[in-house]
Amino acid sequence: MFGDLRRFDTGRPQGLEWFRQLMDEMLPEAGATDIRSVPRGSFPLINVGRTDDAVRVYVFAPGLGAEELEVSLQDNVLTVAGRRAAPEEDEGRTRFRQERFHGDFRRAVALPEGLDIDRAEARFRDGVCEIVLPKREELKPRRIEVKAA
Amino acid sequence: MNEITRQDAGASRPTEQAPREETLQPAVDIHEQNDAVHIVADMPGVTRESLVIEVDNGVLSLEGEVQIAMPEGLSPLYAEVRAQRYARRFTLSHEIDSEAIAARIDNGVVHLTLPRRDTHRKRRIEVQAA
Repeated sequence: MFGDLRRFDTGRPQGLEWFRQLMDEMLPEAGATDIRSVPRGSFPLINVGRTDDAVRVYVFAPGLGAEELEVSLQDNVLTVAGRRAAPEEDEGRTRFRQERFHGDFRRAVALPEGLDIDRAEARFRDGVCEIVLPKREELKPRRIEVKAA
Repeated sequence: MNEITRQDAGASRPTEQAPREETLQPAVDIHEQNDAVHIVADMPGVTRESLVIEVDNGVLSLEGEVQIAMPEGLSPLYAEVRAQRYARRFTLSHEIDSEAIAARIDNGVVHLTLPRRDTHRKRRIEVQAA
């Protein structure tokens, strides 16, 4: 589903990252960006989707387990925080690349209003934490019976 | 361990045949230690089954499909991850024993061990007394 998101104007293919950065330096930001959006390469990346009865948040936090991710919701802002351990320091190790994030992180995304935090659930699978936040009953779409005249 | 296959030189790579598709470039750490090169790659959402590691003509390719079960009718509100597939390639130097590459995936993190061939291992040279 998230494969079809090119219409969300917040990025270009990563292969052109160097070019994009160059252009960003030369040209001011054209479109308006989400106030809590982050530059590419931030950790963890977050996707948010919605169904009729819930909002689902996907936190891409590889290498972390359920007990290492703290999730909280205040008003309609969801915060995820945690820490990813640094790679072991070892003598006799020659390093070539160190692109993976390590250290403390804290990120926030604004969600639609009217979510029922008491019924929220989160589960981790393959490095992705899925948080399901059900909508409050009164906000779910309702079918309106059309009566014959 | 997923498939590591060695294909004949000249056979075209699947990545070149497939229509162009947007891919994510996974962040990697690479270091060398104990007669092997180690690659650690972040590929969240990739499962053991959807990870494909191949060596072809001295090029190591690391690919994986994001497999997240999502309910029908989910419409995106906000997305930072905007492709379904990760892909990254590295050229190997000849001292890497491509038959002996080992891989595992753990919570969306891929660990690859690329051992050096025996003949290329570091050897201590004995200095003899005169």
